Amino acid sequence: MIKAVMVMNTQGKPRLTKFYEFLDFWCVVLCSRAENVSNFMEADSIFGPDSRLVYKHYATLYFVFVFDSSENELAMLDLIQVFVETLDKCFRNVCELDIVFNYSKLHTILDEIIFGGQVLETSSAEVMKARISLKLYRISYQNSFWLEE
Amino acid sequence: MALSGMRGLSVFISDVRNCQNKEQERLRVDKELGNVRTRFKNEKGLSPYEKKKYVWKMLYIYMLGYDVDFGHMEAVSLISAPKYPEKQVGYIVTACLLNENHDFLRLAINTVRNDIIGRNETFQCLALTLVGNIGGREFAESLAADVQKLLISSSCRPLVRKKAALCLLRLYRKNPDVVNVDGWADRMAQLLDERDLGVLTSSMSLLVALVSNNHEAYWSCLPKCVKTLERLARNQDIPQEYTYYGIPSPWLQVKTMRALQYFPTVEDPNTRRSLFEVLQRILMGTDVVKNVNKNNASHAVLFEALALVMHLDAEKEMMSQCVALLGKFIAVREPNIRYLGLENMTRMLMVTDVQDIIKRHQAQIITSLKDPDISIRRRALDLLYGMCDVSNAKDIVEELLQYLSSADFAMREELSLKAAILAEKFAPDLSWYVDVILQLIDKAGDFVSDDIWFRVVQFVTNNEDLQSYAAAKAREYLNKPAIHETMVKVSAYILGEYGHLLARRPGYSPKELFTIIHEKHPTVSTSTIPILLSSYAKILMHTQPPEPELQNQIWTIFNKYESCIDVEIQQRAAEYFALSRKGASLMDILAEMPKFPERQSALIRKAEDAEVDTAEQSAIKLRAQQQMSTALVVTDQRPPNGMPAQPSIGPLSLVKVPSETVDSNPGDQGLTHPNGVVYKEDPQPPSQDIIGDLLGTLSIEGPPGAVAQSPQSATYEAEGAPSAADAAALVPVGEESGSVQPIGNINERFYALCLKDSGVLYEDPNIQIGIKAEWRAHQGRLVLFLGNKNTASLGSVQALILPPTHLKMELSLVPETIPPRAQVQCPLEVMNLRPSRDVAVLDFSYKFGPTMVNVKLRLPAVLNKFLQPITVSPEEFFPQWRSLSGPPLKLQEVVRGVRPLPLPEMANLFNTYRLTVCPGLDPNPNNLVASTTFYSETTRAMLCLVRIETDPADRTQLRMTVASGDPTLTFELKEFIKEQLVSIPTAPQRPQGPAAPPPPVAPASQDPGALLAGLL
Repeated sequence: MIKAVMVMNTQGKPRLTKFYEFLDFWCVVLCSRAENVSNFMEADSIFGPDSRLVYKHYATLYFVFVFDSSENELAMLDLIQVFVETLDKCFRNVCELDIVFNYSKLHTILDEIIFGGQVLETSSAEVMKARISLKLYRISYQNSFWLEE
Repeated sequence: MALSGMRGLSVFISDVRNCQNKEQERLRVDKELGNVRTRFKNEKGLSPYEKKKYVWKMLYIYMLGYDVDFGHMEAVSLISAPKYPEKQVGYIVTACLLNENHDFLRLAINTVRNDIIGRNETFQCLALTLVGNIGGREFAESLAADVQKLLISSSCRPLVRKKAALCLLRLYRKNPDVVNVDGWADRMAQLLDERDLGVLTSSMSLLVALVSNNHEAYWSCLPKCVKTLERLARNQDIPQEYTYYGIPSPWLQVKTMRALQYFPTVEDPNTRRSLFEVLQRILMGTDVVKNVNKNNASHAVLFEALALVMHLDAEKEMMSQCVALLGKFIAVREPNIRYLGLENMTRMLMVTDVQDIIKRHQAQIITSLKDPDISIRRRALDLLYGMCDVSNAKDIVEELLQYLSSADFAMREELSLKAAILAEKFAPDLSWYVDVILQLIDKAGDFVSDDIWFRVVQFVTNNEDLQSYAAAKAREYLNKPAIHETMVKVSAYILGEYGHLLARRPGYSPKELFTIIHEKHPTVSTSTIPILLSSYAKILMHTQPPEPELQNQIWTIFNKYESCIDVEIQQRAAEYFALSRKGASLMDILAEMPKFPERQSALIRKAEDAEVDTAEQSAIKLRAQQQMSTALVVTDQRPPNGMPAQPSIGPLSLVKVPSETVDSNPGDQGLTHPNGVVYKEDPQPPSQDIIGDLLGTLSIEGPPGAVAQSPQSATYEAEGAPSAADAAALVPVGEESGSVQPIGNINERFYALCLKDSGVLYEDPNIQIGIKAEWRAHQGRLVLFLGNKNTASLGSVQALILPPTHLKMELSLVPETIPPRAQVQCPLEVMNLRPSRDVAVLDFSYKFGPTMVNVKLRLPAVLNKFLQPITVSPEEFFPQWRSLSGPPLKLQEVVRGVRPLPLPEMANLFNTYRLTVCPGLDPNPNNLVASTTFYSETTRAMLCLVRIETDPADRTQLRMTVASGDPTLTFELKEFIKEQLVSIPTAPQRPQGPAAPPPPVAPASQDPGALLAGLL
């Protein structure tokens, strides 16, 4: 299962952290890793035995997933990509600032992708649909007829 | 971009962002927390909007890494809000801030349940998300059934059902006893027919959890999984939104293949055929492309397919195809693929018959050791370690050695450990092994754990062919100008032991060896000096005939260290100095180390402990079993004198190979402290072997048994009643004495007190125990002086006497506390009931501050204290001597291994033990006759006569005759004298539990004839 999702910037400031299993607080020095190396790191020493860590670097942000051996490493890397693509669709050219000021949206989107440590949805279109339906709901709730659809 | 109108929140975030440093940020956060706290206190005035805003702020602060220990209640209460915006915040923040053990969650259960069973789909989603993210027991108990219903309900939209599937999975994982999944096989099979890929992906995850627990129940799902995989691989009926960079939902493909790996086999031939067709298509149809994301996705599927092929142990053809693919991967440019290629190759080692194919890629794997990415280098090291066997060990180990000099510091220790293990396991010949380890120490001394050099010493000691080779090698390394301290240790040790084997070669004379070792002396730390001292002592011993110049040099060094502050060094220096003046007897004491018993390599054990990855571990274990140490066979040599597992503890622990190498069972490890106290010693070790192993290797001595304990010990074994006096030197301490270390040598103090009547029995930084004794006939009066050395009082003082059965002892009351700087006196009355050499023990404890100190001390109420010197005339002696005509009253024994003493010195010794030497009684000047009176309640005053016949040609043996009117007394006295003659008083011998004094030896009740036959 996926144990944690973290988004942090290049200075190590957390932008999003969500733990699906209790973990000691983390401090990973990802920034020291060069470009053109693999996206995997040994994480046992930080997150306990049977932990793998995959990260992806986008501009000023690192997206980090921690998970165990029951997940496929590359699939996790893809999932980061889905998450980021969804953010991109949501914010149109997402940047760090969007994430800083809209972390509630971030949580909503993440909840649509990962659920209790399991992959819930892998299609960013579906995630957007769910989000839009929530948005619609908010509008329609005020008009109070959407409920009976 | 502001957060949907919450200006206060945006301002706060901007403020935090604008903070120049951590301190400013903390101040700003603290201010905000204070603000939120006050607002929450008078909740009445809080609008839902404000509440929402503050709860968001709390989440933000929490994310920054600050403790948020209030406001949980407010977050939970928002869940019950009727409107979506508040409810959503409540759910999200609760899921982040609280865990399943939080009491507040109970308050929410009802609302959550209402949301789940309600008809509002959005609320259902929020509630399911909370339950799935937290997954507590109470949630499981009250909600599992509802969640199951949602999952199979046909009226629910996929949006809800996929969440219900994962929510159920989470509840089941956390509380399998609460969530009832009996009869779910059919439902699962039905769920797998789902067309919606979102629901299907979640259902597949649920299936993985269920199957991993009990695959038997879910056989019916297997064909469905294969069908799903076919549908995806052929891209049939896959909606566009589930195609990721042209690949039909790679996650679902991966999940499906994971699920299939939980079934042991695929039996149905049709299903099997279709499955292998799909796998073949995946293996063949994946190419490395330019787009990174596409590459990742396609290889995610490919690696999962490889794992499935390995699991199904397919036809050989497919397996070699897999290895070929992996071989291709480890050479590609894409680092992720290289990484996974290496990792999967390591996994593949589990499958038999592919090692040879993997070996073809050895060169490429070795290149990966130089990859810029440390993650990849680690994988390469793991793989090399796993694939090493007798055929390629030489190449691989030499590569590792070469790599060692340039490897990252983070990897060096692991690297050197692995190289050492491989060298040991697969050495084609032993000299190569020695070469490797010495190179290892030379190149990465700092990263070579002690275990590694202990192990090479063990091998050299146990393999005679290797000894001179190792000595020559060690000598070579010492020639280098700067070498690592570990190298000094191992070289000094080996040259001390085996340098003499090469004495005829130029450059190997004792003098030269000494010089070259001593050159390193100024550079080493205190941990090495004891080894150097032992080495010098050994060189000195091997110098025959003695060279006065060398002797003086070495003696000067010993003299210098006799006042060293380090106890270990000081003791060695003092003992070696004294020993080296003993001439020929040095040869016995400092003879070559006996062979080490065979034991599992501490290194391999360490490596096994270190393995975490289960797959890897089993691969390595499997292979370790297959190829158990083919090259290095160590003979297990036991002491030759028929005492199986009798610990051969010499009089001196001269060379201490630190014990972690030596013991094979840390739980029973006895740590011999330099001054002879054993800490943490199990009074009755479950296996003497362990202690034998442990202590046997700690001492340099003559071949075991040469110290003439053998006949004695053999007798004890026969009697089955070991005497406490035999166990004398080491008094085990039942519990750990904390960090308080005794001052001075407890054993020495005890032996001194055996000869005199007042002195210090024990001393540590807090307390001093003195003793003063008066003996009259069979009675004694001892006074214990308990002196508190501190300026604080000592509490919980307890003194308990554990008397042997032959002594009646009464200790007067001991006060519970000893005031600062005060001394209390405790009289102790002793009465001797019958002859015995058993020793009384004082179990003494006190508390100083938080530490409890407990020591067990032998009391000097020993047999000779009940002797009264008496001079007998020839007229009295000879009739008595003749009237005591033979066993059991008169016992004779030839004693070997006696400390060689000139006759006058022996006479002195006898006199100090209150055995009066009567000169002139025996016409032979080499003989010695002594007499004494022994007092006990049963024997009353009893005259004892002793005759010693020595051999001037061989001072290490003598014949002893002891006579008295009581058989027990005769036996005990004879043994007592023998102990004094054969052992050096400080001799540490086998530890024994004092708490249970053995039954008194009663030779009268046994057949004395047989006993004597055994003795003679």
